[in-house]
Amino acid sequence: MQLKWRVGLIHCFLIAYSLIAVLPILLVVMNSFKIRKAIFGTPLALPSAETFSLVGYVKVLGNANIGVYFFNSLSVTLISMATVLLFGAMAAWALAEYRFKGSNLLALFLSIGIMVPIRLGSISILHMMVDLNLVNTRLALILVYTAQGLPMAIFILSEFISQIPRDLRDAARCDGVPEIAIFFQVIAPLLRPAIATVAVFTIVPIWNDLWFPLLLAPGNDTQTITLGIQQFIGQYITDWNSVLAALSVAIIPVLVIYLIFSRQLISGLTAGAVK
Amino acid sequence: MSRNNLRRMLLLFFFLGPAVLVYSIFSVYPLIATMSLSTFTSDSSGALHFVGLENYRLLLMDKDWREPFWNAFLNNIWFFIIHMAVQNPIGIAIAGLLSLPHLKFRGTYRTLIFTPTMLSVVIIGFSWNLILSPLWGISEGFLKFFGLGAFFQPWLGLESSALITIGLISVWQFVGIPLMLIYAALLNVPSELVDAARIDGLSHMRIFFSVKLPLIAPTIGLVSILTFVGNFNAFDLVYSIKGALAGPNFSTDLLGTFFYRTFFGNQLQLGSPTMGATIATAMFLIILIGVCIYLYGIQRRLERHSF
Amino acid sequence: MAKLSLHQLSKSYGSAEILKDISLDIKNGEFVVLVGPSGCGKSTLLRLIAGLDPVTSGSISIGDRIVNDLEPAQRKIAMVFQTYALYPHKNVRENMTFGLKYAGLPAEEISRRVDEASRMLQLQDLLTRKPKDLSGGQRQRVAIGRAIVREPDVFLFDEPLSNLDASLRVSTRVELSRLHTLLKATMIYVTHDQIEAMTLADRIVVMNKGRIEQTGTPLELYYQPANLFVAGFIGSPKMNQFSAIVRNAAAVTRFGLSAPVKASEEGNAVTIGIRPEHFVVGGEDEHPLAARVELVERLGEISHLHMSMSSGELMIAEWRGRNAPAIGDRLSLSVEPSNLHLFDAKGVRI
Repeated sequence: MQLKWRVGLIHCFLIAYSLIAVLPILLVVMNSFKIRKAIFGTPLALPSAETFSLVGYVKVLGNANIGVYFFNSLSVTLISMATVLLFGAMAAWALAEYRFKGSNLLALFLSIGIMVPIRLGSISILHMMVDLNLVNTRLALILVYTAQGLPMAIFILSEFISQIPRDLRDAARCDGVPEIAIFFQVIAPLLRPAIATVAVFTIVPIWNDLWFPLLLAPGNDTQTITLGIQQFIGQYITDWNSVLAALSVAIIPVLVIYLIFSRQLISGLTAGAVK
Repeated sequence: MSRNNLRRMLLLFFFLGPAVLVYSIFSVYPLIATMSLSTFTSDSSGALHFVGLENYRLLLMDKDWREPFWNAFLNNIWFFIIHMAVQNPIGIAIAGLLSLPHLKFRGTYRTLIFTPTMLSVVIIGFSWNLILSPLWGISEGFLKFFGLGAFFQPWLGLESSALITIGLISVWQFVGIPLMLIYAALLNVPSELVDAARIDGLSHMRIFFSVKLPLIAPTIGLVSILTFVGNFNAFDLVYSIKGALAGPNFSTDLLGTFFYRTFFGNQLQLGSPTMGATIATAMFLIILIGVCIYLYGIQRRLERHSF
Repeated sequence: MAKLSLHQLSKSYGSAEILKDISLDIKNGEFVVLVGPSGCGKSTLLRLIAGLDPVTSGSISIGDRIVNDLEPAQRKIAMVFQTYALYPHKNVRENMTFGLKYAGLPAEEISRRVDEASRMLQLQDLLTRKPKDLSGGQRQRVAIGRAIVREPDVFLFDEPLSNLDASLRVSTRVELSRLHTLLKATMIYVTHDQIEAMTLADRIVVMNKGRIEQTGTPLELYYQPANLFVAGFIGSPKMNQFSAIVRNAAAVTRFGLSAPVKASEEGNAVTIGIRPEHFVVGGEDEHPLAARVELVERLGEISHLHMSMSSGELMIAEWRGRNAPAIGDRLSLSVEPSNLHLFDAKGVRI
């Protein structure tokens, strides 16, 4: 039947593209577990008993400070996400709730950051960090990433806040709840669905960023995983085992987390995008 | 009344203060400072002298600066065209397919296709570098499998193809974003409209092009402007594959790498913060003009239909 | 409990005047219903009393204090919202105690109030549930409970029954009435439903376009509406309104109905109002009115007869009994003179 043909064709196309999407990644990860000969000899084959090898990983985990890098990436990303959420929610709430002269202007001011890349001011940011003695600190990254993530977060959170019924805060006011408590005890708990959306838009750019770690925190103690891997690969560029292993070390944790949370992530993305 | 006003002001400071402070200090001020820096030049002792728009004249017209600048600028435009021509149509097409009713494995496809977007550009860059490398031979072998072995070239190493190759890699990675945004917009099209069209006898293709596409036009506009901003800000991919020199022979040089190189310096020249600031400001102005054109020229025309 | 006074209250949003010069005195323990069509300003007025929006001019006093500048919490009021506005992430008990914690009350006192309110509203078994696990009626009771535990001077209700099913509305109405008797509280109640107004109120305030049209007891408004608007608003089906001209101290309609009127209205156009339930079929009137049945709406023992008079004007009459007339029947109608309402050209009662 014609319908079955069409459906089949659609699935063919989607399968083909899905393969295009994941095959390169699979190739890298697969071959990272093989001996050098097998990498070049049978690149498309899975590692077998003879070809299995962890020699690249040994070198990566031995030489590069992978643990430190991960810790840096994790702490910077999570703390930045937390501050972006907190400051962003408070600002979005104030803008939505307390109309005042210039609140529209302020909202516009804050939303400009969505379009304008913060990187363009890097020279001054670097100067500032030097002056503040914050070069090679995680704090420098956190401050910059918070500034970077706030505009989008405020935009997204404003949409979510506008969905909270007005009556709720009126009721809290009549109940005698102080304003600050209204935010933290009534509004904030209801913003939980927003966290997924904000997380998607903030975490991914921060974790994967090369520019600011390169610029502001290239020191050995403060390198993030992205920078660390990049430096390592630069060093060992001819050592394919190590290079593939290093790439996989960067890929696998992200992949695992992504697959676990893929449903929440995607629904967070689509929920935010709809608005 | 005055006590209430004071309370209100304190509340506003409490709620808005942190965000406005961090944003202004670390995002807005640096941009303004950079723009101001671009009007200065520094001498050998490091002191700054005000030169007005001289740096811009240098950038646009001086023979030492204008070649790399226009080269990078044109490369960026190419980069943008590649994305608009390849990334967005593919994204729209896949989104259209994924939004078809009764599609099995929809979630799986979505997850798989979106995977590259989650990964770091650096990782992607290196991975593709390896895959396309003639040393490994995977791509060559792949093409040979389809009988197209003769077509293989070390694309990343050739001046004529390096930029396009990097552009396609970028498309491969970032197709997930327009995909998701348009998918979400398509979900928002009320099913009654589609049902009515089907009762009217339109085929699925027709429905897509005549009903759904016009309704998601604002989202397509948004995707376009995001693509624009993202492309003109691009740096990571070129840097990870080609380094700051963006070879071969600057054929992959983008404004971002040009900026980086100018500011930090490299084997060929000393770093110049003031010229770097000039380039950064030029990038800002280019992006601003693009966004303004979009907001006033295109956005106005696209009605956002509410349901 | 306290009395409430509104003195020349007005409210504008920019150039839009929502409330114009509202003055009202409410006695201690009174149940006052603000009723009117959408947009008449009744909810706005309630919010001004609550302190949720600032007044543009005029004053509000609760008890002996002027409360214009006081926050809602400081006014000793409690409000029940149309959407109940329960905190979704807190359970029933927490919903009721949340505000009290900030009032500085000791824990035993809070507990006592919650237990008493739960008993009154039969919420004892629901205390640990979250709002999403409650039915509409139960949520309504929690919202009322939240108001009761505050032991306010004035209760404010903003269309609390609008979101309930029709049958639930009736039973909850009865509950509210009983609550009022029990608590002897001052209650201000906003609704667009005139039946709720008639059944619950000690006094009704009819509002229209930001002004008070009439204030009075339900029966006062029913039997002596001050103008055409109130006459048409109270009573369902709506009071029939017929245009008439005054000749020789009598207002005469085009189909021959005549009502005595004072001489000063000679020659003027007036309106005669007759409620559907006041038409008598047959009767011993000297000049019965001829009418033809155009449509019959049967509601059981009561039917609404849509009829046309000899002049072609349409009206509705109420019929009681099983054997309602059929379409096309011709009837003779009469009305007791005391059931005739007269309004001048401006719609004011004569």
